[in-house]
Amino acid sequence: MIRVDNLSKQFGSVHAIDNVSFLAEDRRVTALLGPNGAGKSTTLRVLAAVIRADSGSAMINGHEVHAAPDLVRASIGVMPHNSGIYARLSARENIRYFGRLQGLSGDGLEQRIDNLIDQLEMRPFADRRAKGFSQGQKVKVALARALVHDPKHVLLDEPTNGLDVMATRALRDIVHGLRAAGCCVLFSSHIMQEVENLCDDVVIIAGGRVRYTGTLGNLRAVAGTPDLEEAFVTLAGLTQAQT
Amino acid sequence: MSAFVTVLGKECIDNLRDRRTLISTFALSLLGPIILVGLMSFILDRALGEQDDAITFSLVGSENAPALVAWLREQNYAIKDIELRDGTDPRALVTSGDNDVVLLIPKNFAKRFGAGQMTTFTIVYDSSEMGSASRRANQLERVLNSYARAIGVLRLQVRGIDPQLIQPILVNELDVASSAERALAVLSMVPYFILLVAFMGGFYLAIDTTTGEREHGSLEPLLSQPVSRVSLVLGKIAATCVFALASLLLLLFGFYVGLPLVPLERIGLALDVSFANFLMIFLLMIPLIWFAGALLTVVASFAKTYKEAQTYLSFLIMVPTLPILFTQLMGVEASLWMMLVPSLGQSLLIQDFLTNEAVSGINLFCSALSTSILAALLTRAATWIYNREQILG
Repeated sequence: MIRVDNLSKQFGSVHAIDNVSFLAEDRRVTALLGPNGAGKSTTLRVLAAVIRADSGSAMINGHEVHAAPDLVRASIGVMPHNSGIYARLSARENIRYFGRLQGLSGDGLEQRIDNLIDQLEMRPFADRRAKGFSQGQKVKVALARALVHDPKHVLLDEPTNGLDVMATRALRDIVHGLRAAGCCVLFSSHIMQEVENLCDDVVIIAGGRVRYTGTLGNLRAVAGTPDLEEAFVTLAGLTQAQT
Repeated sequence: MSAFVTVLGKECIDNLRDRRTLISTFALSLLGPIILVGLMSFILDRALGEQDDAITFSLVGSENAPALVAWLREQNYAIKDIELRDGTDPRALVTSGDNDVVLLIPKNFAKRFGAGQMTTFTIVYDSSEMGSASRRANQLERVLNSYARAIGVLRLQVRGIDPQLIQPILVNELDVASSAERALAVLSMVPYFILLVAFMGGFYLAIDTTTGEREHGSLEPLLSQPVSRVSLVLGKIAATCVFALASLLLLLFGFYVGLPLVPLERIGLALDVSFANFLMIFLLMIPLIWFAGALLTVVASFAKTYKEAQTYLSFLIMVPTLPILFTQLMGVEASLWMMLVPSLGQSLLIQDFLTNEAVSGINLFCSALSTSILAALLTRAATWIYNREQILG
């Protein structure tokens, strides 16, 4: 479970996030939804203990991110928005590197990598160097890398960016698999339609503030419209001028 | 500790697979010894050739001046007798390519010599030719002039006239830069190459592991691993140092094999650099390589983009060569305070080891200690940079 309480972070005079609070439960997929520059990445960075919030707290797996950053880092799997894999290493080597940094080694690690390669259907390109991988292949490697230590909490930053239909479907199956395995999945997106098939709960964030938290079903009722895109625009307080 | 080893291993494998890094790391250490040894050998060969080898030229009309020809042969001139058929242009002897320097002695030389009259000799050569023809023609002209002068002096003395009367000025040339000294100037570039390689060897790694990692988007996931920033930074600096060390080893091996090939003993210079001395040079460079790795990493971490880092570091790797210029221009003697300056101390110590001079243990110790302390401070600075949120750019 991820519990975020009144997180605020300022970069210079810009309030990147302002009193952000929400709850992401285990066995559920939570979407952090918002337009570009809403504060989604900043929130995820604070949760991954890469940057410190100015105020507020965030608990992951019972650990506070600022107080015990390494315990938090060990219990989350993070996938950044541009996959960020090493082009001169093979898919397997990319995964192994992060496995070792997570403290895994030996046969246990190799076994785990093999399982992930099968699970994510990476067999055909597992031992090829990542240079020249398609976007879908890169996302799979980045995902396997994030999951190598079998984390119970998974943070995905815009995971569907640049994916084609089949790759998006594959990702959806993986995310639902994680949910079935009891994980708490939190992912960010700026595309409402994607979220519909992927998530159970939605946190809408705009201008650094939370505009809505709740289930997908409840979202339509609160916004007063059956159209999800319309609901998103209404709740995010967007106008044509802003978009 | 294990995270440090993991990062070090990954950065080494990653960069071993990058052709650009490999070229920039090892090109200088491979080519440096070849260029220096080749250059020195070439200069010395030319210098020694001037002294030892016989001056060759072709001669038309040797029967007209047997005494002169015999004297020239004694002066270590190798003379090839050739014929010039009547009515042909003497230039053809050279333009045909058969001869490069031809001396023409006219038929009437003996008669005119006896009568005390002046005779014109002609030297035919092609000054645009790349070889040694011009030099040999000049030398031949000089030796003929001095022969003529000697005859003239004798004639005046026979007649009771002071020969100084016809030569009010005698020019004496003092060429300070002998060819051998030019070869020595090339030799003094050896420490320069050694210092340069310590900085060049880690050049691309320092950029790739810092700014490069950020630009490829892999820094953020790396920083979200449960690993201390100290381990990450140490691993990255260590990888930079490993490449610089490998590059330095290659360079020193090249000099160890190459320098004995230079015929320095022929100019009376003993350059007998033992294996032990090369080993000492390698050891005394280790603190400087740490210093270089940390310095490059710190500066590259500050750069916003790969290109910006390249620009900064290109300037930076020139800095360690400044002390060499300083010592060469000022002609300073090594003193203790110089040992405290990274790269200045090492350059002076390398010179001592190359010329087999006694090296003070205190100087060695001070150089190693001071450079290590500064390297540790720079490493600390790099860790500080990685602990800042701004590292994500």
